[in-house]
Amino acid sequence: MAESSGTDPTVDSNVVENAAKDRTMIVVTVKTPKDKEEIAILEDSSVAQFKEEISKRFNAKLDQLVLIFAGKILKDGDTLNQHGIKDGLTVHLVIKTAPKATSGSTSQNSASSSGTPQANSSSSASSPVPNASTPPGTGPAIQPPNLLSGFGDLSSLSGMGMGSANFMELQQQMQRQLMSNPEMLSQIMDNPLVQNMMSNPDLMRQMIVTNPQMQQLMERNPEISHMLNNPELMRQTMELARNPAMMQEMMRNQDRALSNLESIPGGYNALRRMYTDIQEPMFSAAREQFGNNPFSALGGNLDSGVQPSRTENREPLPNPWGPPGTAPSESRGTGSSTTTSSNGGTAPSVSSLPNPLGINASGLGNGVFSSPGMQSLMQQISENPQLMQNMLSAPYMRSMMQSLAQNPDLASQMQNPEALSVMTNPRAMQALMQIQQGLQTLQTEAPGLMPSLAPGGIPGIPSTTGGSVAPEGPPPPTQGSNPSADVSPSQQQQQLMQQMLQMFAGGVTTTQAVTPEVRFQQQLDQLSAMGFLNREANLQALIATGGDINAAIERLLGSQPS
Amino acid sequence: MALVACHRCVKVPRNFRLLEELEEGQKGVGDGTVSWGLEDDEDMTLTRWRGMIIGPPRTIYENRMYSLKVECGPRYPEAPPFVRFVTKINLNGVHNSNGVVDTRAVSALAKWQNSYSIRVVLQELRRLMMCKENMKLPQPPEGQIYTN
Repeated sequence: MAESSGTDPTVDSNVVENAAKDRTMIVVTVKTPKDKEEIAILEDSSVAQFKEEISKRFNAKLDQLVLIFAGKILKDGDTLNQHGIKDGLTVHLVIKTAPKATSGSTSQNSASSSGTPQANSSSSASSPVPNASTPPGTGPAIQPPNLLSGFGDLSSLSGMGMGSANFMELQQQMQRQLMSNPEMLSQIMDNPLVQNMMSNPDLMRQMIVTNPQMQQLMERNPEISHMLNNPELMRQTMELARNPAMMQEMMRNQDRALSNLESIPGGYNALRRMYTDIQEPMFSAAREQFGNNPFSALGGNLDSGVQPSRTENREPLPNPWGPPGTAPSESRGTGSSTTTSSNGGTAPSVSSLPNPLGINASGLGNGVFSSPGMQSLMQQISENPQLMQNMLSAPYMRSMMQSLAQNPDLASQMQNPEALSVMTNPRAMQALMQIQQGLQTLQTEAPGLMPSLAPGGIPGIPSTTGGSVAPEGPPPPTQGSNPSADVSPSQQQQQLMQQMLQMFAGGVTTTQAVTPEVRFQQQLDQLSAMGFLNREANLQALIATGGDINAAIERLLGSQPS
Repeated sequence: MALVACHRCVKVPRNFRLLEELEEGQKGVGDGTVSWGLEDDEDMTLTRWRGMIIGPPRTIYENRMYSLKVECGPRYPEAPPFVRFVTKINLNGVHNSNGVVDTRAVSALAKWQNSYSIRVVLQELRRLMMCKENMKLPQPPEGQIYTN
């Protein structure tokens, strides 16, 4: 049988040709730092052809691929043979993330950083910023959906966001998305582009600096500009933002340090000063944004507790309806614990100023979505989907959102920053819940007691906003929320309060007027027994501290130069 | 050719060692962050080698590839190789002018053992890039090489 295989003319001629020309398929292992693929390719292919195969397999663009073999970079024009790549050998692959952006941003930033040494150079800064950060190329005032549109992963999310007229919906949707897919968030973080961006302190600084609020803030408070200008700090901050474990560690350290600080005599005042110096300007800077986008503050608020590198905000939260500042001692404890526990509940932020600074520098995060704080928050959220769920499922949040969606009036009222501060004040919200419960209890127990509880009926009595009869529990827990403050700053607030109560109680509002005197009777007695004879001052102090005797005493002592 | 695996017990001839390293380089032994191979495949003395280090993530070297030249002298592996960067880099222990790696700065070179290899040296350099003192050093623009 003289049958020689392979010479049959009917056999596939290619095979014959291949065999004749000695073209064989070889299997080359392509290895990235993350994974490994085996790719079959013709022995005498060029590097370019090899890259084609690779780009298909790894789902990357050709210009992102860099091949290394035996310590040399394989150029497209070379052949595998040239480099001695044979069957069974391994080629290293590096998938560069958007190499143009990398080099672009480097050059852009070198140009811009030289040209913009100061913070007040928004014109020159804004031009490189959009250019440099090509995919997330958004202007200085970055809002979450805009930035998200840059990430390919979230393009759908952004589309939904842009189309949504109702910003609340957007927020909800975003949160839901994030909640349902924490992977997405970690993907964002893992996206080398993000990391690249974040690893570039100049770029970050540009983005932060070009936020007009930030600029104002920096004018007022030079320390902040120093902070931003310190590349070390920036890098550290970004490092923190990227590394959730480090972030938590840092937060814990900060908490510990702060609590130590508090124990030092006079330390509390130092903290307070620190807070007011930094928080207040940031808040007022953030506040200006409210007119534009009140609900962005809602989203931005998420990270308020997570900006330890910028500001320390552990001061007690204020009672927005009047008596500012709940007891510093008790809220300090809760404040730090809340911040430690990954923003359990809503973001706690605090001020003991008369100005309820419920929304602190987190408002700053509005302007710069990619601020490290926000990013770290996002990371935390990605790690802990429960967090988002908690936030959303908190009854007050939900009812709030629903009613907001339904009631455009209320929505406009929500623009009131103080109102927003209420919402972010967890204890305030808790107290509101208690009010609601109390009201409901009252309704069931004594329907006749609340004559004006007709749904939709808002009593137009300015001086007494919905009062909490506070049947449940002693005054201290509820005082933080006690809306029946005679010291209510503005009519708007009261109306808002009424509407909110209306909402909470399912259309139930109250007109119970419980004056502070009556409420604080017990405390007043105690104070007078201690020797503070000035009843007026006592009352003021109690109102200011929401009934906390210790804090009231401090206030009284502070006001009386001894 | 029998490549002896146990370097500690037997003193392996230079060429054997280098051939083994060549094979490892081609097979991609290691984590894929460094690569090495002969500069010239016809080099029978196996002296001149090329290395590549992929800049570690979360450092300023990220996304960059650093090319190196490694020279294994006649007394290799008893004596450490000479290493120099081809790609410009700002790293402690590397001369700014010519990319030569200071033997005293790299512990693998300073305390060289004959069980070490080119891979070990490259990986050590990569680790150095991740050190705090190095990871944030400002770097020259990408793609520049030392000319001497």
